[in-house]
Amino acid sequence: MTSSTPPKVGIIANPISARDIRRVVASANSVQVADRANIVLRALAALAACGIEEVVMMPERGGIATHVLRGMERSNAQGEARFPRLTHLAMPVTGTVDDTRRAARMMREAGDIAAIIVLGGDGTHRAVVAECGQVPIAGISTGTNNAFPEHREPTITGLATGLAAMGQVPAALAFAANKLIEVRIDGGPPDIALVDVALVTDRFVGARALWRAETFRELYVAFADPEVIGMAAIAGLIEPVTRREPGGLALTLAPAATAPMVVHAPIAPGLVTPVGVESWRRMPSGTVFSPDIAAGSVALDGERELFFDGHQEVTITLQDAAFRTVDVAAVMAFAAREKLLLRHAAPTTHPAPPRAALLAGA
Amino acid sequence: MTNNPFPLSRDELLTAYRTMRTIRDFEERLHVEFAKGDIPGFVHLYAGEEACATGIMMHLTDIDRIASTHRGHGHCIAKGVDVHEMMGEIYGKVTGCCRGKGGSMHIADLSKGMMGANGILGAGAPLICGAGLAAKFRGDGGVGLTFFGDGAANQGTVLESMNLAAIWNLPVIFVVENNGYAESTSVEYATAVDSYVDRAAGFGLPGVTVDGTDFFAVYEAAGEIIKRAREGGGPALLECKTVRFFGHFEGDAQTYKAKGENDHNRAHRDCLKLFGARVTAAGVVSEADLALIDREVAALIDDAVETAKGAPLPGARDLTTDVYVAY
Ligand SMILES: Cc1ncc(C[n+]2csc(CCOP(=O)(O)OP(=O)(O)O)c2C)c(N)n1
Ligand SMILES: [Mg+2]
Repeated sequence: MTSSTPPKVGIIANPISARDIRRVVASANSVQVADRANIVLRALAALAACGIEEVVMMPERGGIATHVLRGMERSNAQGEARFPRLTHLAMPVTGTVDDTRRAARMMREAGDIAAIIVLGGDGTHRAVVAECGQVPIAGISTGTNNAFPEHREPTITGLATGLAAMGQVPAALAFAANKLIEVRIDGGPPDIALVDVALVTDRFVGARALWRAETFRELYVAFADPEVIGMAAIAGLIEPVTRREPGGLALTLAPAATAPMVVHAPIAPGLVTPVGVESWRRMPSGTVFSPDIAAGSVALDGERELFFDGHQEVTITLQDAAFRTVDVAAVMAFAAREKLLLRHAAPTTHPAPPRAALLAGA
Repeated sequence: MTNNPFPLSRDELLTAYRTMRTIRDFEERLHVEFAKGDIPGFVHLYAGEEACATGIMMHLTDIDRIASTHRGHGHCIAKGVDVHEMMGEIYGKVTGCCRGKGGSMHIADLSKGMMGANGILGAGAPLICGAGLAAKFRGDGGVGLTFFGDGAANQGTVLESMNLAAIWNLPVIFVVENNGYAESTSVEYATAVDSYVDRAAGFGLPGVTVDGTDFFAVYEAAGEIIKRAREGGGPALLECKTVRFFGHFEGDAQTYKAKGENDHNRAHRDCLKLFGARVTAAGVVSEADLALIDREVAALIDDAVETAKGAPLPGARDLTTDVYVAY
């Protein structure tokens, strides 16, 4: 980032909420479009408070942009200039995940986007990661069944992204390296998962989600937090693996009735299910794993995406340090320690000036 | 392990294909026959949407009830209504399932749990709440499904019925067949929320959206929703995103569609082609199996049309019969 061009932040907000079968087989919910727009407004206000002057958004026709512009107009009309300038990428809107990929690619190629805030579920994050290269992302979850984006108030994510983008926090501390898992069928182009790859006996994609534990056979996780929801919970309750440590975990699963061990795992919101586990081992970065089951489907971050037959070769490989995220917790801890957001009303009584004068009116 | 990767047996897959093919041929043939001017009234064709009716109805038996729409031929066929009686009805002949007095928009067969097509948008929803209440009182495990389009979804009756079904915990399923248009009005213009699932959420009903051109997606989601309702889990909404190959009604110039939209849908979103490709690629069903069904269905539809054409119209004497029901 050169000092002549002030850093910009990108926002990719998927307007389509997940409406899959987990609403019926579990108690999942997701954030509706007006609320998504509201999240964007909160993040925008936080970015402005950090000194970000321009934000570039992915265009869409799902209603977020309309709500956001209306919100900004209202606040401007009331004389509260608390948002950065907002522009939209010049790109066609197809209303599919291709828009997300294209927007992430354009933001990477632009060169002046310091970070991308991503609003959506695991699938949206996956699409961004596939294209954003080394541009760090900050995820905001828009549903109950997401394992990758952390669940927190978007204003805080916005503040941390703004501070990191403005260079207020050393990059080594502000940005964290993340793992991902690549899946290839017959050596083709890789599909990626940010949290987990599950192999199940269903050989059709159908309603996509996973909830019938008796079909689970293999599970590969990049990280496994005992607090997370979804397939990774199975691993998280057996041998936790953090987001930051190298390598992941590979598990062999089996129907609960015949397995030597059964773990009761929250595989979807409100759905705690017995899952049979046969064995598990560490999954080092770069080691190629080939599944034992001959045919089935591959679920990426909990959704069946691909199916394979006996004559096809599936390979599964974990990669360390594959992409970067804004480490919101680390940035906010640094901000507190270094008093980045502190400003004193009467400077005479406190000789030390604030490190940054960030609050509105500073 | 068998070599069948699908959640249906080979026979069930063939049945699914036969049902979808029967609906398709029925509609394609009506498209041709209607232009000849022998068919009274209006017909609204279901071609393109076959996977919705079929994927859902394969989970039902005759004790389950459905309330259909103005675009109801596919629902009737998938629910097991006799194709000859349907064709007779559409031609207004005494051999029709309603003795030729209803026509396309009033086909009904209570013995099959088919409570009727319906010319009034959103009218099926309150009816199915009644059927659901009856099933609940009888405790027979029956469920009720009402179908409506993306346009009819905005009718007050649909919303009132969702509320009623929710408070009485009825075994009722609301199926939105979202084909993108209500007559010539696009769904983006006419619907204030970005999904009908969000609207159902307002009544505390879970909802699911699936690709309505993917038989397996519809089949699996419908299976879970219907099972849940049968077990007392209550109402839910299923949105099938689908395509309509023809105009709103026969004779519609379709100027509101994008150039090439129908061709694109027929090439890439044809549920029959997608299904055929999937089951043959898996080697469970052969091209020859499907071709045989194609021939049998073609013969069935030919015969249904010829029989209907040759059948008598109702006479003056039939004017007051079968019109009112005495309780
Ligand atoms: C109460 C009522 N209002 C208006 C009409 C006229 N009408 C018949 S079909 C139709 C459009 C229905 O669209 P949709 O619900 O999306 O079903 P589709 O035709 O696409 O299957 C309209 C407005 C009607 N039949 N009933
Ligand atoms: Mg419609």
